[in-house]
Amino acid sequence: MASVKLTNVKKVYDNNVVAVHDFNLDIKDKEFVVFVGPSGCGKSTTLRMIAGLEEISDGTVEIDGEVVNDLQPKDRDIAMVFQNYALYPHMTVYDNIAFSLRLKKLPEDVIYAKVTNAAEILGITPYLMRKPRALSGGQRQRVAIGRAMVRDSKVFLMDEPLSNLDAKLRNQMRAEIILLRQKLDTTFVYVTHDQTEAMTLGDRIVIMKDGYIMQVGTPTEVFEMPNNLFVAEFIGAPKMNILKTELSKEGDKYFVKPCGAKIEVTGEKGRLLQEKGVESGEIILGVRPEHIVLASEPVENAIPCTLEVNEMMGSELHLHVYTDEGTRWIVRVPTIDLTSEQREGLVNGARLYITFEGKVMHFFDPESEKNLIYGEE
Amino acid sequence: MRHYSDLEYLQLSKGRKFGYRLASFFTGIPKAIWGFIKKIGLWFKNAGLAIGREAKDIVTTFRDGDWKTKLSYLVMGFGCLARGQILRGILFLLFELVFIFYMVFWGAHWLSLLPSLGHIGPHEEYNAVLDSYTTTYGDNSFKILLYGVLTIFFIIAFIYTWRVNVRQNKIAEGILKSGKKLKSGRDDLRSLVDDQFHKTLLALPTLGILVFTVLPIVFMILVAFTNYDGAHDGYISNLFSWVGLENFNTMLSWTGGGGVNYAATFGEILGWTLIWAFFATFTNYFLGMLVAMAINKKGIRLKKMWRTILVMTIAIPQFISLLYVSKLFAKNGIVNGILLDLGWIRQAIDFWGTTNHNGLLPRVMVILINIWIGIPYLMLIATGILMNIPADLYESAKIDGASGWKQYTKITLPYMLFITGPYLLTSFTGNMNNFNVIYLLTGGGPTNAAASGAAGSVGYTDLLITWLFKITQGAESKYYLASVVGILVFIVIAVISLIVYNVLPSVKNEEDFQ
Amino acid sequence: MMTKDTSMKKHMGMRAANAISNTVIHIVLAVIAVIWLLPFVFIVLQSFRVENTWQVGYVIPKQWGFANYKNLLYDATKGWFGTPFAKWYLNTFITALVTAVLQTVFVLCMSYTLSRFRFKMRKALMQFMLILGMFPGMLTMIILYRVLKDLGLTQENAVPGLILVYVASSGMGYYVSKGFFDTIPKSLDEAARIDGANRAQVLWKIILPLAKPIVIYTVLTAFMAPWGDFVFARYISFGSQAGMNVAVGMWNWLQLDQIGQKYTMFCAGGVVVAIPVVILFLCLQRYYVEGVTGGAVKG
Repeated sequence: MASVKLTNVKKVYDNNVVAVHDFNLDIKDKEFVVFVGPSGCGKSTTLRMIAGLEEISDGTVEIDGEVVNDLQPKDRDIAMVFQNYALYPHMTVYDNIAFSLRLKKLPEDVIYAKVTNAAEILGITPYLMRKPRALSGGQRQRVAIGRAMVRDSKVFLMDEPLSNLDAKLRNQMRAEIILLRQKLDTTFVYVTHDQTEAMTLGDRIVIMKDGYIMQVGTPTEVFEMPNNLFVAEFIGAPKMNILKTELSKEGDKYFVKPCGAKIEVTGEKGRLLQEKGVESGEIILGVRPEHIVLASEPVENAIPCTLEVNEMMGSELHLHVYTDEGTRWIVRVPTIDLTSEQREGLVNGARLYITFEGKVMHFFDPESEKNLIYGEE
Repeated sequence: MRHYSDLEYLQLSKGRKFGYRLASFFTGIPKAIWGFIKKIGLWFKNAGLAIGREAKDIVTTFRDGDWKTKLSYLVMGFGCLARGQILRGILFLLFELVFIFYMVFWGAHWLSLLPSLGHIGPHEEYNAVLDSYTTTYGDNSFKILLYGVLTIFFIIAFIYTWRVNVRQNKIAEGILKSGKKLKSGRDDLRSLVDDQFHKTLLALPTLGILVFTVLPIVFMILVAFTNYDGAHDGYISNLFSWVGLENFNTMLSWTGGGGVNYAATFGEILGWTLIWAFFATFTNYFLGMLVAMAINKKGIRLKKMWRTILVMTIAIPQFISLLYVSKLFAKNGIVNGILLDLGWIRQAIDFWGTTNHNGLLPRVMVILINIWIGIPYLMLIATGILMNIPADLYESAKIDGASGWKQYTKITLPYMLFITGPYLLTSFTGNMNNFNVIYLLTGGGPTNAAASGAAGSVGYTDLLITWLFKITQGAESKYYLASVVGILVFIVIAVISLIVYNVLPSVKNEEDFQ
Repeated sequence: MMTKDTSMKKHMGMRAANAISNTVIHIVLAVIAVIWLLPFVFIVLQSFRVENTWQVGYVIPKQWGFANYKNLLYDATKGWFGTPFAKWYLNTFITALVTAVLQTVFVLCMSYTLSRFRFKMRKALMQFMLILGMFPGMLTMIILYRVLKDLGLTQENAVPGLILVYVASSGMGYYVSKGFFDTIPKSLDEAARIDGANRAQVLWKIILPLAKPIVIYTVLTAFMAPWGDFVFARYISFGSQAGMNVAVGMWNWLQLDQIGQKYTMFCAGGVVVAIPVVILFLCLQRYYVEGVTGGAVKG
């Protein structure tokens, strides 16, 4: 139960590779913060610097107001769950969970109470006397969490804890982590490369790339108001459709002209563009696949295109289409919105018409890739 | 040589591909050597720069430091003591006192004698009590050299510690300035089992290596530049003294060795050493692999028994098996006895050339017996690796239509060679220095008449290492020559390793596998 | 029908070829087994030969008995275990035992450190040791002998001197166990450090229990080496019967001046030396195999 503050934290490896540049973040008490980004973006390195497993090249890390740069991991009062669980293979589940308590020299009856309590919460009581190798992946995961739980530490760190599980188990454990968080009521820092995990778990999400923070915000903020093209593409699945096109200002109104269509920017976005004083010019247009409307015949401002791949996901269809200019887009259509004839018509090579509303568009500067509306200077 | 691009190379015929690769290997050697020289140059440059930086830092620390720091330049550990780091301070101070004490009472003495290695040798001196002349011993060159080197080591250690002492002051000042607290003695002790645990762990092993390997090697390298031998043992017989490069001149010239052609002798022994190492390494390697594959083949029964029989022989101390086998093949040994009984031969075969002084048969014999010694070991290694070759490689090869032989040459062999590359290198150099097999089997014999007169009666099966040993034996014991041979062995091994390191991918990228 | 028939023929042909090759391999293996075992069978047979003590051209003793074994251990004036051989055996055993313990400690310290810590001089240290290893170790014996002699650790006191020589530089043989430590995931160390263990506790409570195979391998090889070492032992014992190990003592038996009286005793001695080592080795074979394979792969 503590705040974590990172100020100008930097990591430079011996071969002068900079893994993390100037990282600033204030994690509040009891907050659940998720670091997310592609592999090699420095998210794990940052977590490991908080844990004390990686030396901090520059800047300070504070836990609960105390600078911990020079403290050993054991003196930082943190708990951590590793990607590969890191269970001690030669110890039983009970001993694994009790290990940290024994190092603290707690009396055995206290240890017993704590371990069995944690095992109860996690549902691993029947396996307490087993060795880790006799457990399934999900059970090992629970033991790893149990080991971290009993420490009652200030901060709970998790380094891609779900990435070694299969898809089904991952969804289940994700939900359990949300429950666990409610029970533990402590500060969480969670690292993942999976944006779904980030969106569902985090109070706030830190999106990183190449050692830089791209954006910090709540799931809603990063989804609806991405700071830049990278965040826009990284958050949301399937990823946002991107198109280089023209933004033109005609009087008070803004229009975009993708693939021959002409669509007016409506709603708040138009107003914001005006407030920011955006002029006509080339921009990158982004539209999320779920915001695209499908039409089977040419309507006004519809972009004609050809269906290439039709992925049936169950509740929805992912249609991969290409426009006559050759731009590839993905359209996400709820299955329920289509009649069975319409669905049968969606075969490869089918001619489709797509369009979207003026209020769903995102605009990015083609040079800096910053969001023209929400991008920070 | 013309350099081909990847696509051009692919269009070459099989023979030309091989030729190209062979040529690039050899043309690569000068480049590798040049690269190495450049690396050394760079190393010296960096070392020079580092020393410059250190010197500058020492000066600026003094200039910017407070009086505690300044006094620490003279009294080591003063800054620590004054700032409350008692433990560190005492250790620094103690080290300085011990150093000064040592230098005043012993170090200076040894150091002053080092250039001459002693003035007064053993001599007759009149003894008034006995009223006769008795031998009185003077300086001891051996001790002068040894303690001289030790003193230099000590001085280097002192300079390093002094530098650490200075840096400590700078760091401590910085910490105090930023308002933080210094580490206490208790913190220091605790860190020795935690973040500084590696220092605790390494202390004894590196000290052992320093005293029992580095110091002796430095000493022996220096001996190569003296005339230390049985007649100049430095104390009882005569002092020894520096002779410069004379011993190298003796060893490497056709006429330098007082009528003995040492260069030819050395060349011949080196040649045989390389031939031996080559055969000893590769016969074992391929035959061991073959045996391992035979045992592991599907459908072979009693796998465990075959393996255990071979493995058991590893455990039998080599001196027993080697000495016994050498007697087995003696002229009056069992092998000759049985062959004579069977009537297959009329005369005992002189396997070791003891009477006919022919070198060829003994040389073949040691290689053959070495196969007998080495195969079980290689069989073990090969078995382990063969089992690790992913089965799907063979499956896909089978589907691609590869025969058994093709599977061997295209999958098994490259995989083995790649993975055991570093092992082959160490095995080769290890065989160059394989004292036991040669010395226990033949003792280096039969005597090579062509090399008579050279120190340490040279035999046909002598390796450089057994020759080195022989040189140091007996009353003559020309240690200085042994030392020269040792240095030359080092150079040969270093050059071979360097070439291989630059060619073998698995050696070069050793870290990649971790 | 046709195709099936030919394919069956092909199949049968393959099977037959396989059977032939397997038979050949079995025969070859049998020959190999004989070649490898025969000398040891000879040595055992000759150790029981009592009609004469010198080297002869036949294998089967004409007269069997335990005289050679008795001569090894029984001295007419000093009684049982008063012989030089008993002394050599004891010397070697003590050396092997102490070396096994200390060398294992040294090797594990070095290899664990090089595997787990990333300190400033790590690379330099490893390269330095590599270069040191290229010098013939024998060269250092000349000086070590004289230094140990000054310290009184040679000749009849060779055992502690020899142990010192074996153990002191043994850190250089870190390759194999470092390779093993490298295979233990580093996240185990990290998890333990977060759980509140200091580095020493990590080594003691987590790594060592997991490193059992390599510890056994190191102990085993360290224990076996002194039984076969000849040159260092000979240097340091320097002619003193009381300080020799079995290799040096028994080597003398086969030199021209002694072989006539001591040949069969050598055979008996060889059996006595080999049996405990071989038994120990066969019991721990599994670990040894693991070690050499891993070591060769890791370089």
